[in-house]
Amino acid sequence: MYGLFVNRMIQMVITLFIVSMIVFFMVRLKGDPISVMAPPTFNTEQIARLREAWGFDKPLLEQYTIFITKAITGDFGQSIQARRPAMELVMERLGNTYLLASCAALLGLVLALPLGVMSAVRRNSLIDVVSSAFAALGNAMPNFWLGLMLIIVFSVNLRILPAFGALEPAAFIMPSITLAVGTAARLSRVTRSAMLEVMNQDYIRTAYSKGLSNRFVLIKHALRNALIPIVTVFGLQLGWLLGGSVVVESVFSWPGLGRLMIESINVRDITVVQAGLFWFALSFILINFIVDALYVYLDPRIHYR
Amino acid sequence: MNRKRFTTLLVLVFAVFLSLQPLAAQDEVTEFVFAHSGPIRTMDAPVTWFGSTHWLTNGLYDCLIWRAADGNGYVGQAAESWENVDDVTWRFKLREGLTFQNGEVLDAEAVKWNLDRVRSREDFLVYPQWQFIQDVVIVDPLTIEIVTVNPHPYFEYDVSYNGCQLLPPDYMAEVGEEEFARRPIGSGPFKLVEFTESDRYVFEAWDGYWAGPPAVDRVIYQVIPEQSAQVAALLAGQVDMIPAVPRPDRGLLEGSEGISVVEETSNRITSFYLRVETETGAMNETYPDFQPATLNDNVRLAISHALDRELLADVQGSAQPRLSRVCSYYPEGFAEQYADPEAVAAWYNPDLSRSLLAEAGFADGAGPTIYLDAPTFQFGNEKEVAEVAAAMLEEVGFNVELNILDASAYSEQITSGGNNRDMMLTTLGCSPSLVPTFYTCEWTQANYNVCVPEWDALGKQILTTVNPEARLDLWGQWWETYVNYAQTITLYEINSVIAYNSAEFDFTPRKDGWFTFRDLKPRQ
Repeated sequence: MYGLFVNRMIQMVITLFIVSMIVFFMVRLKGDPISVMAPPTFNTEQIARLREAWGFDKPLLEQYTIFITKAITGDFGQSIQARRPAMELVMERLGNTYLLASCAALLGLVLALPLGVMSAVRRNSLIDVVSSAFAALGNAMPNFWLGLMLIIVFSVNLRILPAFGALEPAAFIMPSITLAVGTAARLSRVTRSAMLEVMNQDYIRTAYSKGLSNRFVLIKHALRNALIPIVTVFGLQLGWLLGGSVVVESVFSWPGLGRLMIESINVRDITVVQAGLFWFALSFILINFIVDALYVYLDPRIHYR
Repeated sequence: MNRKRFTTLLVLVFAVFLSLQPLAAQDEVTEFVFAHSGPIRTMDAPVTWFGSTHWLTNGLYDCLIWRAADGNGYVGQAAESWENVDDVTWRFKLREGLTFQNGEVLDAEAVKWNLDRVRSREDFLVYPQWQFIQDVVIVDPLTIEIVTVNPHPYFEYDVSYNGCQLLPPDYMAEVGEEEFARRPIGSGPFKLVEFTESDRYVFEAWDGYWAGPPAVDRVIYQVIPEQSAQVAALLAGQVDMIPAVPRPDRGLLEGSEGISVVEETSNRITSFYLRVETETGAMNETYPDFQPATLNDNVRLAISHALDRELLADVQGSAQPRLSRVCSYYPEGFAEQYADPEAVAAWYNPDLSRSLLAEAGFADGAGPTIYLDAPTFQFGNEKEVAEVAAAMLEEVGFNVELNILDASAYSEQITSGGNNRDMMLTTLGCSPSLVPTFYTCEWTQANYNVCVPEWDALGKQILTTVNPEARLDLWGQWWETYVNYAQTITLYEINSVIAYNSAEFDFTPRKDGWFTFRDLKPRQ
């Protein structure tokens, strides 16, 4: 476990360094943001002065050296639009995005596991057909469309849920469902196939022949052994939930990091984009680390050196 | 307690609760929620140029003077009165006993600090707009004089424009600019009590305002990026106003009880901007040796006469056809000549367009190829407008190559990137104080490396002629050059289509397209 930790830490530093480089040069690919932010009243001379004031007149490599030296200390520079530290803006929103992604992940898991297990146990039954239909629908439905439909039904027609914001606990319901449906759909299919594979193993037959109860066999023997692929897909889904929140946050006006990123990209506030992408990358790396650590817990045969 | 007694008690409690409701209602806070697409970033208003930020901060800060809501003149805010002492000097008398919301005194010294700040800070996006000030002189604690570089006919407009907001100097010195952006204080009718950057801003009425507290207790600016989500929130009764109703939803909102849809000019005009040179911008590097057809005067004029503006305005959805680039409610817009439907219809002349093309050497429908750039959507159906305009141009003999880009890519590559080849579609503000500046030789030489001396001379005269009649005469000549030189071809003036909760609020939109809620009143 200690080896895994050290290994992942080294990988994390290298990955973050590469991500910082890619992001830094990508956001500058189409020139500096000054030309976009400057009002039409600025002439070329004034634009040049503004560019100099923000340091965009320096060679790209010099700009990157300055950026990375400061970024190591957590200073991602000032937001061009807000005139506040970019990282401060990101941190203000980060909690909301994590909270939404966690709720959606939990909801997805709660829906997917029983559905997947039951459709595997009762193969070709009504519940299996319903589960398959749900999986197909959940995968096919774009989340922005589902989000708008939920708003129309529960906010406009029934008037029981808030259409936007994160001001009250009820505001979590629709964005979480919107994000969770896709995750639940994918996870239920993986659970079903993993369970089907495990259910045909000899040790399951042995467990039944020992007279163990159906529930005990399913949970203790079958599900535990089917968990490795489920955890793998769940880890990937957590990453997807963070990325997918960009769209859902816009539909529900959720004050999260995804919306901040979209807005910052639109107004070319590149310091905020850099800080936000850094956190997204860090989150993905940490999720991967947790998934790897869970493998060891779930299957003692797995060792990392 | 048996079930019957319990039920009776419950009914009684409920009845008492219901009877108390009207009493409680009397103490209710009047809250108005305005949905906005954002983004909004800084509360240090003079720093930025984004109109949306200035709408938001308008209730928080007072200026010296402010534009009247009906577009007719100006009203005093921190200034009680003001006068033009001579051609270059304006004297302002401040109201007595003014303070900022933290108790700091708002006097002549504070006003001077603010004006010096916006005209000296080159990193502020409003900086160029304040270069008309030569000096700010404190006469006494309640009197201040602003000396302009030249006689300035649009002084009142410019002194009430972006960057006019008065901030408390001592508080700013105490907390610094970064902290001020987090905890701003002004002298306007509303205090900012809570906000999440670019998401939700809660303002509460300030009892200490010189004109008394506003009629609405609380105004909330809620950023909702998606227009369809804005409409849903209004229908759900969770917001009270949306500033731009999408065309497909207009009928739905008009038919909804308690919601009114109103239309008013947005202070924006959409035009085609044509290339008249080949030396500036990125176009020169991207397309070396490219010679725009629009360098030819007759080709540009042919384009202008080939466009049916009435149809294009109709395609836009909420616009009025125009020929001049100043909004029609300003006298300088010459509405009778350039906004009159008959005059605009008469300008559309495909036959004249064809003969102009023939004079330019493109006879018998073998017109030049024109590259037309447009965004998919910015203020309303730009893509469709460009497509219909292209069809009109092809009708008279042009070959049109359409280049439609997503709005942000369009802004990056075309309008800001300088990659427009022949013509591009752009929407800009339409105030008379700004328009001539963009056609003076200082501007065109620096930005396009061209200069039309007669036009330049007229523009400069306009910007220094204080006498309104003489200035209007000059405007008349200026428009002649504008429409015939056809570097900019005006298409239409855009209206805002606003939907609001008319069951609970009385609202009259401003002429200048701003959304401010100082005068908003709850319906009795």
